[in-house]
Amino acid sequence: VIRTPSVDWAALSPDLILLCAAGLLLLVAVVVRDRLARDAAGVIGLGAFAAAMVATGVIWDDHGGRTTTLGGEIVVDRFANGVRLIVAVAGILSLFAAYGWSRMRERGPEFAALLLTAAAGMDFLAASNGFVTLFVSLELFSITLYTLCAFDVRSPVSLESGLKYLVLGSIGSAVLLYGAAFLYGSTGSLQFGGIAHALAGGKRTDILALAGTALVLCGLGFKIAVVPFHMWSPDVYEGAPTPVTGFMAAATKTAAFAALVRVLTEALPSQADYWRPALAVGAIVTMVVGNVAALAQSNLKRMLAYSSIAHAGYLLMAVIAQGDLARQALLFYLLVYTAMTVGSFAVIAAHERETGEPATIESIRGFGLARPVLGAALAIFLLSLGGFPPTAGFLAKVYVFSAAIDSGYTYLAVVGAITTVVSLGYYLRVGMALYDRRATPRAVTGVPGYASAGIAAVAGVALVLWLGVYPPDVLDWAHQAARSLSAGS
Amino acid sequence: MTIGASQLVLIPLVGAVLLAILPLPRTLAGPIALLFSLAVTGGVAGLAYRFDVGDGFQFSTDKVWIPSLGIRYHVAIDGLSLALLAMTALVSTCAIGYAVWEGRSRTRLYFALLLVLESALVTVFVARDLILFYVGFEAMLIPFYFLIGIYGGAHRRRATLKLIIYTFVGTLLMLVGILTLGLGAKGGPAFGFDQVGTSDERWVFLTFALAFAIKSPLWPFHGWLPDAYRAAPPEVAALLSGVASKAGAYGFLRLALPLFPKQAVELRWWIVTLATIGLLYGSIVAFRQPDSRGVIAYSSVGQMGLIVLGIFLISARGEDGAVLQMVNHGVLSAALFLIAGWLAVTTGAERFDQLGGLARGRPILATVCIVVGVATLAVPGSSTFASEFLILLGAFESHWYLGAIAATAIVLSAMYMLRWISAVLHDREGPAVGATRPPDLRSGALGAVLPLVVAMLVLSFVPNAVTRRVDAPTKALATGALEYLP
Repeated sequence: VIRTPSVDWAALSPDLILLCAAGLLLLVAVVVRDRLARDAAGVIGLGAFAAAMVATGVIWDDHGGRTTTLGGEIVVDRFANGVRLIVAVAGILSLFAAYGWSRMRERGPEFAALLLTAAAGMDFLAASNGFVTLFVSLELFSITLYTLCAFDVRSPVSLESGLKYLVLGSIGSAVLLYGAAFLYGSTGSLQFGGIAHALAGGKRTDILALAGTALVLCGLGFKIAVVPFHMWSPDVYEGAPTPVTGFMAAATKTAAFAALVRVLTEALPSQADYWRPALAVGAIVTMVVGNVAALAQSNLKRMLAYSSIAHAGYLLMAVIAQGDLARQALLFYLLVYTAMTVGSFAVIAAHERETGEPATIESIRGFGLARPVLGAALAIFLLSLGGFPPTAGFLAKVYVFSAAIDSGYTYLAVVGAITTVVSLGYYLRVGMALYDRRATPRAVTGVPGYASAGIAAVAGVALVLWLGVYPPDVLDWAHQAARSLSAGS
Repeated sequence: MTIGASQLVLIPLVGAVLLAILPLPRTLAGPIALLFSLAVTGGVAGLAYRFDVGDGFQFSTDKVWIPSLGIRYHVAIDGLSLALLAMTALVSTCAIGYAVWEGRSRTRLYFALLLVLESALVTVFVARDLILFYVGFEAMLIPFYFLIGIYGGAHRRRATLKLIIYTFVGTLLMLVGILTLGLGAKGGPAFGFDQVGTSDERWVFLTFALAFAIKSPLWPFHGWLPDAYRAAPPEVAALLSGVASKAGAYGFLRLALPLFPKQAVELRWWIVTLATIGLLYGSIVAFRQPDSRGVIAYSSVGQMGLIVLGIFLISARGEDGAVLQMVNHGVLSAALFLIAGWLAVTTGAERFDQLGGLARGRPILATVCIVVGVATLAVPGSSTFASEFLILLGAFESHWYLGAIAATAIVLSAMYMLRWISAVLHDREGPAVGATRPPDLRSGALGAVLPLVVAMLVLSFVPNAVTRRVDAPTKALATGALEYLP
């Protein structure tokens, strides 16, 4: 007799909502066309994300904030719920960013369905409690993202981006799987708790366990694009349709960082002496390479890709540092990063639709004067990415630096501070171009869809300013989420 | 609603938000900004009236801002803050008044930015929490970035990037220092000025010192200054040199000295040496500049050197003189920049070889220029004389050669100011003057400069108005360091 594991449907409800909505959208796609298809995609997509957020709020306190289900393969704690909320925010903003896009009229429901499926995969990744679930959810959202990258089928760049992501992403997945196999070989378990138990019981220096640890780190390193596993991201970011890039940059990072933290704290805590120094070196190299390489870019999406690599370096600081403060810093940073990144890509998407060509420093000259709301929004996002007070980017940096200093990694904070100065070299250049008085306004050739992009941008700005000026509520929420992770390990 | 320190921060911010979101006619933006700025000036005047010299910090607001890190929104005013606030409010009002007179494009954005700038500057001078202080210290860069980057003159892009990146190098390292200090505070993380305690860590002190040295700027960290002062619109340059630079000197006095008494004393000769070099260097280079802005820019390097020298003498006279000089220099350099701006607008020329002979038939301009110029070169009887005399006295008490060098520099200041006066007012009539026949300094422009001149004259009669109020606070700030003095 095969015993079926008990399922806590309530704990899984946010993701089930997303997946059901995705299924519904695929049915809708058969029936409706054109504008109606786009509107259906928008309404159902937004509704699903909103419902998932509500459901997450409802189950926030269930079972003391930590539910283990599906035979211990899934753990829905507040940390995982926190990730669900951030991913949903990214999804909602991305839907608004994509709404004015011409492909939305042709394949809107399919686009929204893929987006929802990817979001569900990310949620599962953050809630994985074993390497099997981890790998399956990783592939669930990776494969959907490959498709989303190639979604603009008439654009060779988009197709190339999808293919590139597929090849390099698969290598990352394979490396991760290989590492998981090594850990299984050493410890005899695929669940995080079992691995931690076996490692603590004398397998700590086992060569298989060490190799497994290293390979798992490399595999996850691909997903969060830390140097030296970052090569794919500038090309993929540049080629992918811009609303997809925004979602990919923010939500993938959120989920992958959450998974990384969970693996490190719940499966590999006894290996900390090995992975901490390795990640510290990785963080330094990532901050330096990301920021310096971004200086040389003139294509805005490539620039933001390198900037996102640099931010992965800042986020790594919060992974290396110990304690609740570090996890709180991580979640807060991820939320802030989501708001400013998806917001910036929404503005860039509108700009690209207006000119019909890739956004560069040259093409964006005078944009802030011609389109005051979108321009001001992008300027605020850039200031926030650069860490200026009173935007949320500043407080996020304060938290991450505090976490590093509190754990004795002051040198990481110093590197972070210096590389942030470097980052101003490119953020400010774009800001300056936005308000160039002498620029001649470009002819509007495409359908810009300002209204929807404007909603994404204004919502992003509202988040960035709210979190920068009055963050206690959100910080409290991040604190609860952080505590639930440490309570479990 | 009673006016307190917090309201001084909020009033300009409210004005800025209103200007940014209300669809006002363009011509109204300037006057509205001026009203908000006048409200701040009035508020400061009211506070000065209610201020109790015998009491410490007053008009405070203290609220928890970010509980988990112990960060507070704590603002309060003591004599030192009050003196600098009065200067800030006055200079901001005059700067906005000047901008209204000269007229700017995209007025709503422009005046909103000026008000944001005023709010950030006020925050720096009233903050009692390190993070809040940092927010003000750094947030002021955002309006400068756009004010110079969008509205500036030639080479504005290079000037802006230089200004922001120079300043950011210092401030971001200071952020690491601040976090180290606050996380190490007794009884959990806390960032209040009184809560962080004192520290002996040399590197933390150096992060603070670097940030303030760049902001002031101290020689050799002044690389951003000449470009920024030349590229900025005149009223923005006035705020930059008059008020923003004082944030650096204020930081030395308010934070570097009391939080790191041991390091401040041990390393003070390095700072005093740099300040003295800056004093001589700035004064000499100012003498060789071909235009008004160049003279004011480099003279500012010299004057800031003198102020930092006064602070790091760590004696009652030095500190009082330094604070009085901060107020004096704030008012005077702002007045000089506004006059330089007026000259550039009316004659279309900035260089001395184009100007000259403006005194003839323009009595008001001549009077204003001479009053400001003579006050700057510290003629006996002026308020600048009082402050420089106090600093010199402190220097002589410390080491005679220090006093001698500082005195020489003051002679140099007479040389560059007299050269400026003669190049603008006297000499032969310059080609630009002959071509444009500018009128006398009147109405709008005069209205913007006159309050500064009047403030200067009043201060000259009663320098005590400042020193009486700042004496107790500066003494308190220096007590810790005094214990380590040999």
